[in-house]
Amino acid sequence: MSVRKIIEEALREGRSKLHEHEAMAVLREYGFPVPEVALARSRDEAVEAAVRIGFPVVLKIVSPSIVHKSDVGGVVLGLETEEQVAEAYDRILANVEKHAPGAEVVGVLVQRMVPKGLEVIVGATRDPIFDAVVMFGLGGIFVEVLRDVSFRVTPVSKEEAFEMLGEIKASRLLDGYRGMPPRDKDALADIIVKVSRLMDEVKEIKELDMNPIMSYEKGAAVADARIIVDGRS
Amino acid sequence: MEAQSTSSIEVFFKPRSIAVVGASPTPGRLGYVVVQRLVNRYKKGKVYPVNPKYGEVLGLKCYRSVEEIPGPVDLAVVLVPAPLVPGVVESCVRKGVRGIIIISGGFAETGPEGAKLEEKIRETIRGTGTRVIGPNCIGVLDLHGGMDTFFLPEEKMMRPPPGDIAIISQSGALLSAMLDWAAHMGIGVSKAVSYGNKIDVDEVDMLEYLANDPETRVIVIYVEGLRPGRGKAFIEAVRRIVREKPVIVLKGGRTERGAVAAASHTAALAGSYEVFRAALRQAGAIEAVDVVDVFDLAKALTMQPPARGDRVAVITNAGGPGVMATDALESLGLRVPLLSEELQARLRERFPPFYSVKNPVDVTGGGSNEDYRHAIEVVARSDEVDALLVVALIHPPGFSAELADIIAEATKGTGKPVVAMSFGGGETSVLRGKLEKSGIPVYETVERAARALWALYRYGKVLGVAR
Repeated sequence: MSVRKIIEEALREGRSKLHEHEAMAVLREYGFPVPEVALARSRDEAVEAAVRIGFPVVLKIVSPSIVHKSDVGGVVLGLETEEQVAEAYDRILANVEKHAPGAEVVGVLVQRMVPKGLEVIVGATRDPIFDAVVMFGLGGIFVEVLRDVSFRVTPVSKEEAFEMLGEIKASRLLDGYRGMPPRDKDALADIIVKVSRLMDEVKEIKELDMNPIMSYEKGAAVADARIIVDGRS
Repeated sequence: MEAQSTSSIEVFFKPRSIAVVGASPTPGRLGYVVVQRLVNRYKKGKVYPVNPKYGEVLGLKCYRSVEEIPGPVDLAVVLVPAPLVPGVVESCVRKGVRGIIIISGGFAETGPEGAKLEEKIRETIRGTGTRVIGPNCIGVLDLHGGMDTFFLPEEKMMRPPPGDIAIISQSGALLSAMLDWAAHMGIGVSKAVSYGNKIDVDEVDMLEYLANDPETRVIVIYVEGLRPGRGKAFIEAVRRIVREKPVIVLKGGRTERGAVAAASHTAALAGSYEVFRAALRQAGAIEAVDVVDVFDLAKALTMQPPARGDRVAVITNAGGPGVMATDALESLGLRVPLLSEELQARLRERFPPFYSVKNPVDVTGGGSNEDYRHAIEVVARSDEVDALLVVALIHPPGFSAELADIIAEATKGTGKPVVAMSFGGGETSVLRGKLEKSGIPVYETVERAARALWALYRYGKVLGVAR
């Protein structure tokens, strides 16, 4: 489904937050390194999707009313077999029923599990003065506690994207530190430039978070994405 | 926002005729000060007082309205109470006035009633080509051409000498204080503009105009906020202009936070100041931290060339300030590299063993003026440094105010920026005067001198000449 159609559908249904499989589809169309995903509405569909996508997979609850999926037991990682997938599907629905009773459930997202890497965040928002603004930071406490992030107003060039990587205080971690390998900065800069282009081309997108993105020695993978849309643009 | 050519701004500085609406014959009143200053200072245009209450102001015939003035009127300076301003603007537009400076307050800054008046004015000028500065501002000051709509009498706000720093400010009060202080410090200014509530002309328009102003070499902006949606135009304008001349920005309202309600990490973290800083960086503007810093940086940028790299040599005759200079430079991201063995050996040729030649180069309190010459000539002409910070404390007997000439001679023709730190009274003030006269900016602390070099390096980066 095209980006335009996904957003129109969400707006028609009165949703400002895209479902995660929709967000991933938007990112895929713009060439971001996203893992394969499928939305399952039954246990059998989940197993079938996992087999098609390839193991290991992650299962995540898809619900517009649940913001923090892990807090309600809505995420199960590292599933290696069909049996595990089937069991995890049931467990997630049971957890949600228990911790978020009455939450609207769209389905369960089956996602190819991306290998662990250095966790980074790339996001975008719209500033009332400057319009689209892109943010980069390292994941976890770096962003949440230390607010160690850098910004650029769109359009962001590749050169400026590299500057953003170098501007955060923890940037040395990207160059490799204490036995940790250096990260593929080109892949991260590429993601930043693509976010800039996406924000400038699709005005309905108000906010976007890719958190975390796994950064590797070679390449990167978007492990989780959130997109907020608004029809008034 | 329709595109306007910068020539529509020229009328504010070079009008051939000016109407002062709200002129007054009573000394001390705003309407008196403005007429008086224009009559005394501005020689390139006729001044027409306008006020239906009076027949004459300062010996000039006073008109009942702008439309009653015979012949064309280029510019109107409006001082009447806010509720009367929309009517005056209508009259100006009918008369074909090209520029209006609305000094009066009582508009959007006071609430929705005032905002409605602004909307009315905007409606009136839409599509007419008439440009408006203000309301709630003090207007323009041109130290070269003499235009002066500032209602502050000279004994309260001294006018700086004509120079090459232009200042545009959202705050009129801050601008007046800056200009008064610049005058006191003998710092020259080209043009100053207070644009207040900016219902029409804003910082982007002024930047574009000043970019082409031959009398301006550095542009300083004090800004609190830009108009919604105007951010990208601001970045584009600054980016174009910094290729010609440096732009120094002082931002007010740095701790203000953006909307709190946000559904994403990014939106929660993207406070307005963080985003503004990023935008300034992208645009190639140089951010000042306070009013004193503004002039420190402006001075360096008008007097010295941009640095082609981040390597700084510190030449000193005092250990402590040398260490502090190194700290200050390094904490700003500049480097104070160890000089090569060869260069150290060349310095040693004429220096006793107890001088330090590593960088900082320290000729000690026992040294002399001539030691500076040797140190600077060897270091400045090497390819190991890109800029010099000279600490010149001339209190010991071997040094004198003549050191200023030596520093100037020794650094001449290297193409590398030089800034000096000198601190004290007495002969030091002679040295300071001589240095600045020969184009070397002097600062009272090494931290301020280091900031000046940082700005020259940043500008080198912006121009693409620095590594």
